[in-house]
Amino acid sequence: MRTYVEFAVKKFQNRMAYRLEFFMGIINTIITIIVYLCIYRALYGGAKEIDGITFQMVATNFVISLGLSDAFTFNEMFLQDKIHDGTITNEFLKPVNFVFRMLSENIGEGVFKMVFNFIPALLFTLLYASLCPPQSLLNLFVMVFSMMLGYLILWLISFIIQTWSFWLFSVWGIMTIKNVFVNILSGTLLPLWFMPAVIRKIISFTPFGSIYFTPVRIYLGELKGADILYGMAVQLIWIVILAVIANIFWKQGVRKLVVQGG
Amino acid sequence: MGEIKIALQSLRMSILTRMQYRIDSIVATLAVFVRESTNIIVIYLALLKFDKINGWNVNEMLFLFSILFLTYAFVVSLFADLRDFSCMIREGRFDRLLVRPRGLLFQLILNNADLMASVGHGTLGILLFLISANRVGITWDFLTILYYIGAIIGGVLIQGGMFVFFSALSFYFVETNSIREIFYWNMRKFAGYPISIYNKLIQGLMIYVIPFAFVNYFPAQYLLRKKDMANYNEMYMYIAPAVGVVIYLAAYGFWRISVKRYNSTGN
Repeated sequence: MRTYVEFAVKKFQNRMAYRLEFFMGIINTIITIIVYLCIYRALYGGAKEIDGITFQMVATNFVISLGLSDAFTFNEMFLQDKIHDGTITNEFLKPVNFVFRMLSENIGEGVFKMVFNFIPALLFTLLYASLCPPQSLLNLFVMVFSMMLGYLILWLISFIIQTWSFWLFSVWGIMTIKNVFVNILSGTLLPLWFMPAVIRKIISFTPFGSIYFTPVRIYLGELKGADILYGMAVQLIWIVILAVIANIFWKQGVRKLVVQGG
Repeated sequence: MGEIKIALQSLRMSILTRMQYRIDSIVATLAVFVRESTNIIVIYLALLKFDKINGWNVNEMLFLFSILFLTYAFVVSLFADLRDFSCMIREGRFDRLLVRPRGLLFQLILNNADLMASVGHGTLGILLFLISANRVGITWDFLTILYYIGAIIGGVLIQGGMFVFFSALSFYFVETNSIREIFYWNMRKFAGYPISIYNKLIQGLMIYVIPFAFVNYFPAQYLLRKKDMANYNEMYMYIAPAVGVVIYLAAYGFWRISVKRYNSTGN
């Protein structure tokens, strides 16, 4: 476990080296938040609330989702690059679990983004626009936990597609299409409250609703008591299902790689 | 004449290169198409619920977006090398062009069309145009068609000019990606919406700094005449096609001055 924490810390320090990128990143995030708030405000067109959802709630949904998706930006072509240049074989010789190393490095990068990119941008946003306060401190705390589960779901989906690079020349196209599905169906851009009923029905059979929307609803207090537990149980179930699938692809892929090496 | 021959030959080579990876090219083109549709799908779903955004209905929004995609399809097939220019300098590939008997910018523009991106954006642009063009109340007569063509050319030149400008910056700074990320890619994401929805700061950026407003918003206003045009000088609609020429020439001048500073990264 300590080794993997060390990997995460290293990656974190690594990112610290790029100062300019860091400032530009904050400006980028601030512009993104301002622009989307403008878009939502124009859509509301002065209405106090639509279907019981206030503008503030929509803004909060966007900012929380953006924070989590910000933490989730890493090189999704990592495994493919390792396979293409052959360095993946070196990884297997090292006495660490390669998959856990990938995860911990990505988490390290994510924590960096959260601390140095998202939180400064968030503080600036609070000067500019008012967001909903958390329902209670407990809700805030539980939301953070639920966000971590959301992160794992995102990571597992990405990892499954990364493993396909054992078979495919390039997974860039599939990865891009995956990200479109995630962006639309998980409600980052248009909150799931406003999705047509049919689409919401479809989403309920997929992991997408568990990524951002569950933490957001916990934060806002839309989910209460047993509903919170139910929401998080659904998140956990998706993590287990995706982990099993990921494991199958990973095992098969590694076996194929060995065969190729002769 | 020789120039045109080189241009066609270079296009042929781009196509042949991509055809080596046929399946991958098709998947990548599809991916670009789907990725760029994200905003369209979102605004479509949003307008099912909200009906209008600052007075613009769904067809008018699609029309506004279509100009952005159509112009970019040309931009990315002409200026692909300039898009990745800082990388080209770092790897020393730029030196190769210096020893060839043709203008530098000419070579850069012809080299390497990003065909997958071009087809992806172009298909989406044409599709959106076909869906919306006859549902937004434009009478397509000689004058409007002429204006439309002029606006598309202008839009290509504005974005091409920006690429030339950012590329020229690489002669002064090693790393220009993050500045381009903010000013070009970030703004482009938001240019599909009527700029009147934004606050003054973003509007100012879109009109005077990174003039995406002249790529699609003002040309669309000339054809659609929505109420929110009252916020801006009416002249902007009429000069939109010409803005591209001015920006491109200015960027070209800056490039000519900057390229003299070039020292290779190699030895």
